[in-house]
Amino acid sequence: MIDDALAAFLQQGLAINIGTRSARLEPHAAYVPAARVESGGTHLTVFVPRIGADDVLADLRENGQAALVFARPEDDRACQVKGVFESVRDARGDERPLVETQYAGFMHQLEIIGTPGESSRAWVIWPCVAVRLEVTALFSQTPGPDAGAPLR
Amino acid sequence: MSVALDTLTSCFQGLIPATLYTCAADGTPNSAYLSHVEYVDAQHVALSFQFFNKSRRNVAENPHALVRVVDPDTQQGWELRLRLTRSETEGALFDRMALRIEAIASYCGMKGTFRLLAADVYEVLDVRKVPEQPGQPSLVARRPPDAVFTMRALQDLSQRINRADGLESLIDEILQGLDEVFGFNHSMILLPGEHPQSLVTIATHGYPENGAGAEQRYGEGISGLVAEAMKPIRISGLMRGMLYAYAAKFRAEEQGWCRPDRRIQLPGLANPESQLGVPLIVRGRLVGVLVIESEVPYRFHEDDKATIELLGSYLAIAIQNALLQEAADESADDATEATSPAATPAAPRLPATREVTYYRSDECVLVDGEYLIRGLPAKVLWKLLTAHAADGRTAFTNRELRLDKSLQLPEYKDNLETRLLLLRRRLDQKVPDIRLEPAGRGRFALKLSARLALAERP
Repeated sequence: MIDDALAAFLQQGLAINIGTRSARLEPHAAYVPAARVESGGTHLTVFVPRIGADDVLADLRENGQAALVFARPEDDRACQVKGVFESVRDARGDERPLVETQYAGFMHQLEIIGTPGESSRAWVIWPCVAVRLEVTALFSQTPGPDAGAPLR
Repeated sequence: MSVALDTLTSCFQGLIPATLYTCAADGTPNSAYLSHVEYVDAQHVALSFQFFNKSRRNVAENPHALVRVVDPDTQQGWELRLRLTRSETEGALFDRMALRIEAIASYCGMKGTFRLLAADVYEVLDVRKVPEQPGQPSLVARRPPDAVFTMRALQDLSQRINRADGLESLIDEILQGLDEVFGFNHSMILLPGEHPQSLVTIATHGYPENGAGAEQRYGEGISGLVAEAMKPIRISGLMRGMLYAYAAKFRAEEQGWCRPDRRIQLPGLANPESQLGVPLIVRGRLVGVLVIESEVPYRFHEDDKATIELLGSYLAIAIQNALLQEAADESADDATEATSPAATPAAPRLPATREVTYYRSDECVLVDGEYLIRGLPAKVLWKLLTAHAADGRTAFTNRELRLDKSLQLPEYKDNLETRLLLLRRRLDQKVPDIRLEPAGRGRFALKLSARLALAERP
């Protein structure tokens, strides 16, 4: 579902956030410092800082619905990935470099648009939980008339 | 609400994009980026409704929404739990948001495609800190020490302004003072132009070109947006880029009231990181716009807003007073003396010849084929030069210009002083061989250091 080119875009270090909803259809969200697309592009794992994960994990366990938004501040290229919850576990120590590398990429993006990178380094990116999702739909969110159009 | 919404207005500058989370009636969540969140009042924010997108369809079915913003000062993330309460399609809020959308549309080269359909107003049910995005309050304390509009700095500027003995020195003192007192070394002042809904640059500071005479239409560029909205505008990051492109697009278009090749380029930094536009308002009337640019990102902070407005009011009154004072000084002069031609000094030997051409239909003066100025300043210059050519006069008064029917000055608020100042600045930069030197209250002298070949064309 996610091809190689899109996977490269999603994993370069972007502004990533996950949105979920409760049983009462109230939205919840969490910051995602990193994402990893699995081979074949049908699944991805997103890393959510444990400190901010409670609400979204409760929602995912309750109804499984997720909507991730990926954006590159430098040029506003953005896309939304809809997915269904598969599983959650604690992120392993060997996954920490991936999280830190993508987070550094996002910091660099912030510097490009004029926000000193040092200022966001206090954000908590570890420890994380690793949330595995099955990809169900992809949409463009780059500003313009095609925003919201399916990518496939 | 545990946190007062009005303490978060820094988050609504659009420097770091916000995210919006909604949910359809069938339970499908949606996540989207937002260019900015508009602060409405202590209980409400507004989001722009431009397209019938998924977020908009979702809130129409299910009014619950969540917005996340980041404070650009501290990097603290904030989460706002929202409920859609109403959509506005007119009024001040709608106009303010529509203006911003129009700027974005022009930036994308898609003016007319992006259009604000409604300003969706949401009640803010709760505000909480995002735990994974803690702020660093120390970042605020690390602002550059010269950045703030402190009372002491305002006092210093005020003393400079009080020393000014006329409009010209006042404007120079303001811009010089902004540099020396506040550290803002790129600034300009624009005053209302001859055409309705237009501004003209009267003075600049810190740019290679003085830009006197450069025009802006209302709604065009930061100064035009300030004039239109009559409110201060601070721009950072992306928004700045949008507005610059917006202004550039408009400049490239035929305006009808001014040929593009006969307009003076507005000076500006190539890559400003922060811009601030302050309306100068006296009794509800716009007397000018102050624009400050900086290469420092996010230079103008939310905390500075009140002081900036205060500064704008003070400068507006100072400029208004200087104009009134010059007009009063002039009318105090003896009318007979004022209209008497001055003695003609011996003609000095003048070197090179400058060709000065006046185009009647355009009310425009070109010197050696290069555009100099148009409108009232052009008519005034032509009158002075032809009078000098006829009888060698070099001394003139504001009063005789004001009484000259051929100049077609309006009877009320003719702005003659500002037009003369504009003409003087423009000549200083482009044709230093022709100078207008102040010679006492309401008087000035024409000084030439070149021979002039005058030609009038239809």
